[in-house]
Amino acid sequence: MEQVIIIRYAEIHLKGKNRGWFERIFAVNMEKSLKGIRHEIHRYSGRYLIENFSDGDTDLILNRLSKVFGIHSYSVALKVGHDMEQIFCAAKEVSCDSGLFKVETHRADKKFPLNSMQVSAEIGGRLLDCYEQLKVDVHNPDFIINVDLRENGTALVFNKFYKGAGGMPVGASGKGLLLISGGIDSPVAGHMIAKRGMSLECIHFHSYPYTNMQAKEKVIDLTKQLSEYTCGTKLNVVSVTHIQEEIHKKCNGDFMVTLLRRFMMRIAEKIALKCGAQCLITGESLAQVASQTVEGMTSSNSVIERLPVLRPLCGFDKDEIIERSRAIGTYETSIQPYEDCCTVFLPRHPVTRPKLNEVIEEEKKLDVNALVEEALKSLEVINI
Amino acid sequence: MIYLDNAATVKPDEWCFKAAEKYLLSQFYNPSALYAEGYNLHLELKQARENILGLIADTRNFSLIFTSCGTEADNQAVFCGARRGNVVTTLGEHAAVFSAVNELKRRGQEVRIANLNADGSVDEEHFLSLVDKNTSLVSVIHVNNETGAVNDIAGLAQKVKAKNGFALFHSDGVQAFGKIPFRLTHQIDLYTINAHKIGGIKGCGALIKRKNLVLSPYIYGGGQEQEMRSGTENVYAVKCFEHCALQRYKELEKTYDKIREINRIFTAKLDKQLFGLISTDKCSPYIVCVSAEGVRGETILHEADDSGLIIGTGSACSSNAKKRFSRVILACGVNETVADGILRISFSHATTAEEALRAAEILNTIVKNRKEKMA
Repeated sequence: MEQVIIIRYAEIHLKGKNRGWFERIFAVNMEKSLKGIRHEIHRYSGRYLIENFSDGDTDLILNRLSKVFGIHSYSVALKVGHDMEQIFCAAKEVSCDSGLFKVETHRADKKFPLNSMQVSAEIGGRLLDCYEQLKVDVHNPDFIINVDLRENGTALVFNKFYKGAGGMPVGASGKGLLLISGGIDSPVAGHMIAKRGMSLECIHFHSYPYTNMQAKEKVIDLTKQLSEYTCGTKLNVVSVTHIQEEIHKKCNGDFMVTLLRRFMMRIAEKIALKCGAQCLITGESLAQVASQTVEGMTSSNSVIERLPVLRPLCGFDKDEIIERSRAIGTYETSIQPYEDCCTVFLPRHPVTRPKLNEVIEEEKKLDVNALVEEALKSLEVINI
Repeated sequence: MIYLDNAATVKPDEWCFKAAEKYLLSQFYNPSALYAEGYNLHLELKQARENILGLIADTRNFSLIFTSCGTEADNQAVFCGARRGNVVTTLGEHAAVFSAVNELKRRGQEVRIANLNADGSVDEEHFLSLVDKNTSLVSVIHVNNETGAVNDIAGLAQKVKAKNGFALFHSDGVQAFGKIPFRLTHQIDLYTINAHKIGGIKGCGALIKRKNLVLSPYIYGGGQEQEMRSGTENVYAVKCFEHCALQRYKELEKTYDKIREINRIFTAKLDKQLFGLISTDKCSPYIVCVSAEGVRGETILHEADDSGLIIGTGSACSSNAKKRFSRVILACGVNETVADGILRISFSHATTAEEALRAAEILNTIVKNRKEKMA
């Protein structure tokens, strides 16, 4: 009797002729996430089996799998031969000794002498003989014992379905560049897009010496947490200190955030095109803060020449974002009190509805290209 | 690299680590053990205890409990000293005392907090008005760790005892021990000292306790340190502490005068157009607190670091005012702009006048440059 893990994939089964391509990416991602743990992955029709791992690693494997996009659900199962005695032993192993239960059988191997109803009845009957406190309830059972008779002469017995991360395998939907700030929102935005199969690279802007090294460390930690879902990533770090100083010196202070965001977008687009990303992703949520109004977005979008900007959190409330942030495990890091962009330069009354022509007029006071080029020179790339 | 953040920690004295090395490897026994090898270490600890204590107090009237750090000693004083009535302390306390009394407050005890003068010393009149017959513990920092202000703890203790003879008087002397000349008077019941602020190793402090004072332990266990602080003693750290302390006190007055002079040279060199002084002549010469009003302290700290000068600051990069500004500095009565630009430059016995002079030049350049950029 061997312990195995059954993995069922999510949307991939809806794919047509290109299903094989998705399956290959999915398998590679699982391999990546289980790196360093002894195991074998085998593909069967519509599912994968992880076999030949040590029992002590089961929890670790389950934890890693919970972060692989494309998995609909997974179960820890006992693998036995096509033999009723062995199947019963496995069922006894996974069964509780009291409560309401039922047995469900799937018979892929139609040559098996008993049909699925008969297998369920037989196993259920033997379990009832074995444990006095057990009772059958096919409508509202406390637990279900599943028996899966495969075509290759094996039977899988299990009692639990764990919900997977869902979505599409990362890498199947291209690549995006996530603007990550160190706050609560951007990691959630990255997670949502990665869930739909996009691989991520991240970019962070800092204003050292106005901000400190802990702020950068926090972003590195967040990116690491996010990379568990994306099978690794890269973090680009760019200094916008001089840009902030120039805006502060030459422009109307109320436009600081609006103008700075335009610079960030310009720099991000340049880096995205260089690293092969096909879109920018931000954690903006409509009307959350002064700069995240539709006018603010118009202003920052207007400097982007070639790429779309995805804002998956636009329709979310803050508490919904926090809930997701807790669920993906980035919240605790996000709320550490280090700032990404210095508050020294923040205006008391930032422009909330910037008019594009006014913004452009303000921006004329700056040598935009030179500042962008200078910022790009400060680029530091960290492999996560 | 010029290191002028000695109030945070002092560069360790290499020779005292060498002198104590044998307690790491060959003399590794448990000092509570009954065999001769262990017993000898017990004697070594006893010697260290007396030697350190003797530097600032009469060993017949005081005893010394080794702890893991100054914070632990402060916590023991607060949590084991305040058992009923109210607790009186000041806004100028180190977090080791201030957070501890806040916890007492959360647990339902009455906590009274005295205001500060402009240099960070306690407002004596206000402080004494808070002490009454129900006060069980008083805690006043000896030398403020942010501004260097020196509180006259002997005088305060006397006045407190005159109002309430049963109140325990504790003082955190981490920034005073091994730096400024003083002796503990019999009205002081508890006093905290620490090794790494005078060149010893981190992870070693002590609580000095007046003899015959009944205090409960803070950490329970095997009954080490006269039942006052359980846990196997760190003989190596204690012996390092002893060596350092003896050395510091050998030349205490001489070093004190030298640092006074360095302090004068440094403050004279600082551009008064750029910096406002918070510390005064009455403060400990080891600490200079200034504000580069209009430029955030942390910005200067990073730039100074890049220019080869390490200093401390009183503000952090946070939009949360509570976290951003130093509670002590705000209590000195300055506005937020001043509080935002606070820098702490602190000297040690090893600091030279050249270093101080160079540091002042670096700071002048950085702040001038930064003020121009932000104008």
